Amino acid sequence: MGRASDANSDARENISMKESSRIEQSTFDSYQIQQNPRISVVFNHENIQYTGSDLLRIHYVVESVESCSVAAIERSVVWYTEGKGEEDFGVVFFERIQIDKRNDGTKILPKSVNTDQLTGALAIDLPQSPLSYEGIIVKIRWCVRIRIFFRSGRDFVSEHIFFLGNVPLAQLSEKIG
Amino acid sequence: MRLPTFFNKKRGNRRTGLPVWGSLGEGIYHAVLFVAGLIIGVLMLAGIAVPEWRINNEFIGVDGRLIGKGLARHTLRDVFGGAKYSWRPALLVQYDVDGDEVQSWNTVHSSETHETRDVAVHQLDNWELGAYVRCWYDPGDIETVVLKRGYSWWLWLLTLLLPGALVTFGATGLLHSLKAWGRSEERQAAQFGRLLETFASPLPESVGFPTIPACDNLVNSPGMMLRFRLPTESPELWSLIGAGLFSGLWNVVVVLLAVNVGFNVVGGRADLWLLGLLAPFVVVGVASIGLFCRQLFFVTAVGPTHVEISGHPLCPGNNYQVLLSQAGSASFRKLELFLELEEQATFRQGTDVRTERQIVWQFLIRRWKDVEPLPGTPFEAEEQLQLPSKAMHSFHSTHNAVSWRLVLRGVPKRWPAFERVFPVVVFPADVPVSNGESK
Repeated sequence: MGRASDANSDARENISMKESSRIEQSTFDSYQIQQNPRISVVFNHENIQYTGSDLLRIHYVVESVESCSVAAIERSVVWYTEGKGEEDFGVVFFERIQIDKRNDGTKILPKSVNTDQLTGALAIDLPQSPLSYEGIIVKIRWCVRIRIFFRSGRDFVSEHIFFLGNVPLAQLSEKIG
Repeated sequence: MRLPTFFNKKRGNRRTGLPVWGSLGEGIYHAVLFVAGLIIGVLMLAGIAVPEWRINNEFIGVDGRLIGKGLARHTLRDVFGGAKYSWRPALLVQYDVDGDEVQSWNTVHSSETHETRDVAVHQLDNWELGAYVRCWYDPGDIETVVLKRGYSWWLWLLTLLLPGALVTFGATGLLHSLKAWGRSEERQAAQFGRLLETFASPLPESVGFPTIPACDNLVNSPGMMLRFRLPTESPELWSLIGAGLFSGLWNVVVVLLAVNVGFNVVGGRADLWLLGLLAPFVVVGVASIGLFCRQLFFVTAVGPTHVEISGHPLCPGNNYQVLLSQAGSASFRKLELFLELEEQATFRQGTDVRTERQIVWQFLIRRWKDVEPLPGTPFEAEEQLQLPSKAMHSFHSTHNAVSWRLVLRGVPKRWPAFERVFPVVVFPADVPVSNGESK
């Protein structure tokens, strides 16, 4: 099992090291009143490298936050484009786990979720496309996003990059053959 | 305590700001438009559309007698103290309502007023004093009478269009803001994606391969020698259509202007200003015809290009046969057949939507020099093509695309260089493709 922040050892080493580190953001960080949580994700592939129709299985742990302050957790597996164009975005897996008690006082949670320690797991079969791509003006990224909604109304998202496929970096004016 | 920022600011990989405030601002903006549309709609309906509808549906028709006529003047004063006048014919009608004789000046529509007094006087001449006319009076106010009925379609169109556009735009924006309120972008995308699958067909893509464009249109034409004949995207053809459209429209305007000037000259009223204006129009018109003819001659002289391929869609690492056929009588200094990978990004710049293209991979399949066609026989060549084993697949999303294409670039001996593009679709490696050839 490999952590998302581990360096990738293939030709994309520099990019992997930069991108597989956690990218986190808080939508209310302009007036933070509490410490940001730390979310770590463990992937089932050592080098976070997958191919189409592979099984992606992850386990996440949310730390530095009290479980009673969390209202909901959203787990998703998404791809998005980066580069010169407007961002396009696709969701292949999405699940919202409401940790708040409902009006009737009941909580319905998947077995893989532990709300006391804020840990969870998910598993999906990845699609055949689009593959991760590092182009010149178009880039395609895959990631697992864990988004935490606090009772205060604030939310926090942690993004963990992985690679689908093994397409080499595009280089400007490269001639093949 | 710091005040919340009302705008997004990008700091490295983070974005600061409050999306909630953004959604609130957008929501208020769209709510204002929605309410404004409703108010304008109600005002227009009450002030214009409903009175017209009542005249046509509720007013009672009687025969009346024209007993007086005159000219009503309407004065409109502007902010500088100047005055603008408009005139309308005013007619005094005598008619019978339940045994009572009523005399009243007719009410006319604003479209029946004239800025020129003579026109209104001329219209007044059409009415004869003492004549019996058909008139319609308001049962709620019997002194309101009209001599003309009917609908002004443009008024109804305006009544519906202007507030309708505001209400639609405002309601759509309001719904969008409500949809985004308190929801993450992943949740919105997941829900919107389901909605799209239910109500609308998404971008055509290959079954089982999200974001890879469907290639149905690329495999429906069989080739003469190889399995498929690829459709072409020729920039020259679009230039020809563009030049033809421009030339046609421009010269229609020139002809209309010339006919008007011709009538003036024949009638002895030659307008020097109009003649002066016509001259540059004629020059541009003649130049556009010349450009169109040159383009047409170029396209026909170079001749059509056909490309056939042994398998499609393509798969990385596989070999394919490609047949190039160049018809026409033109001789070429060189012909080059490329396989290219092009990225395409669409983005907004101010109010413009721009698309940038970038060729990121280029593979020269074959170059031919000093090509001399034999009379009546097209130039043909069959080449082997191997796709790189780690090639990116074709990708198409709303604003971004990665496209593979075969490109023929030629330099004719007596004509400018040309380019013909033949798109192909590439699937990911290690995926069984029904139409591709194996290694």
